[in-house]
Amino acid sequence: MIEVEHLTKRYGAFTAIEDVSFSVPKGHVLGFIGPNGAGKTTTMRVLTGFLPATEGRAVVAGFDVFEDPVEVKRRVGYLPETPPLYRELTVGEYLRFCAELRELPRGDRLRRVGEVMERVGLRGWERRVLGTLSKGYRQRVGLAQALLHNPPVLILDEPTSGLDPAQNVGVRELIAGLAGDHTIILSTHILPEVEALCAQVVLINKGKIAASGTMEAVRAQAAPAYYRVSLDAAGVEPAAVARAVGALAEVNVVQPEGDALRVECAPGVDPRPAIAAMAVGRGWGVRALERTIPTLEEAFLSIVGREGA
Amino acid sequence: MTATFAILKRELLTYFVSPLAYVFLGVFLFLAGVFFYLGIALTGEASLRVMMGNVSISLMFVLPMLTMRHFAEEQKTGTFEMLMTSPVSPVSILVGKWLASLTLCLLMLLGTGLFVAILVYYGDPDWGVIATSYLGLFLTCGVFCAGGLFASSLTDDQVAAGMGGIVLLMPLWLVGSASSLVGEEWQARLDHLALLPHLRSFTKGVIDTADLAYFALLTFGFLFLTFRTLESRRWR
Repeated sequence: MIEVEHLTKRYGAFTAIEDVSFSVPKGHVLGFIGPNGAGKTTTMRVLTGFLPATEGRAVVAGFDVFEDPVEVKRRVGYLPETPPLYRELTVGEYLRFCAELRELPRGDRLRRVGEVMERVGLRGWERRVLGTLSKGYRQRVGLAQALLHNPPVLILDEPTSGLDPAQNVGVRELIAGLAGDHTIILSTHILPEVEALCAQVVLINKGKIAASGTMEAVRAQAAPAYYRVSLDAAGVEPAAVARAVGALAEVNVVQPEGDALRVECAPGVDPRPAIAAMAVGRGWGVRALERTIPTLEEAFLSIVGREGA
Repeated sequence: MTATFAILKRELLTYFVSPLAYVFLGVFLFLAGVFFYLGIALTGEASLRVMMGNVSISLMFVLPMLTMRHFAEEQKTGTFEMLMTSPVSPVSILVGKWLASLTLCLLMLLGTGLFVAILVYYGDPDWGVIATSYLGLFLTCGVFCAGGLFASSLTDDQVAAGMGGIVLLMPLWLVGSASSLVGEEWQARLDHLALLPHLRSFTKGVIDTADLAYFALLTFGFLFLTFRTLESRRWR
């Protein structure tokens, strides 16, 4: 549904994004993460046809963003980082204006505005002036605007920024409900949100893709999986237990971690059968033998580093 | 077309839900009233000739203040991004906004109908001259609104857009009174560029294609420049 190939955007000497490629199949949710200023917003603006790229190609909903921008715009719903609201209008006036801009047939406009308001939880807010709304409600109006024309593709730039935890859950549920019918690109700083919603992740750093693929792949790419091993060897010194585990051919590194051991192996190697066999052979009990995948947060920090923090 | 009309409606709504439209109508009618009184008091004629000239110069300062927000504010608040990511061409956006400011101008000019009524009550004005005067003034509004929009498209700062619009339009007035600098012979040539001599034909009751072409050219010129600026903002 979305194909991005070697996208580069330069502003004079400054390169905002460089050689960015990824694709999102129909109905999937792609999580777009990276530190501030990494190029997330720039990439999204290119995909919505707001900014042209310097090099590369992007196809959205079957149309080339550079050759058929209007066709792409018809099929994309876009929520920019700050919801694009006219402060002096009411919610209803604003959404009806958007419905006209979005070329909805005259007879469908009112019905569609009502449906979308219902969907984002704005029922009864029609006559409120946009300038007086709280951040959470502005965000909802922004989302409503993006959904009006029922676009196959949704591009949401930090849809949950500035929301309280309850609103956050609401928006997350809304997005989860939209997946399947809509192909969604979602940028955010809230990594648990990405883990909850997205099957695929693109991590962008300093304008380049630092990691991409399925959630598991990105997490594993950043920091390899490790194993938490806890053996019950009565009367044997912990150091000796560690040495016994470390002596196994499958195991690369053993480090004590609390009352357990942290065991690292080469990628693709699973040391658990060997450890279990060894423990059984020596008459030790096994308390825990767990594979631990780094969280997305750990992956993020190990890739991006802590420079910005 | 739908989009142009949607934008026109939205802009008019914004004018009238904020104090903007009322302030402009009030200020403009006050200024026009002063010039109307002075014109009658000085010449003793039952005509709008003096008022029209002075009103056109006031519009040169007033209209850029009206149009300054049109693009500058949208770029500042981010709504410009929404417009440009909807399937609407920059031309529709531009024309919608221009027509909105022109609609307010029309209301402002209609407000001066009161002065016409006074002329009719106390004197015997020439209806043809009044009609052509209003046509000329309306065309002037078209030029000033287009120039103001151009200034607004250049920046996201409203004050800069307003001042820029005035500075952009002022030469149209100033070249008409440069004779002390360039001499009479050159002044005669510069008069072709100046706005007031062209408006003067209308206030005398003459509709000349040269004058029509002058106003059309300036309006289209400014609108075209605005269009190019909007396009280029995406490339910078």
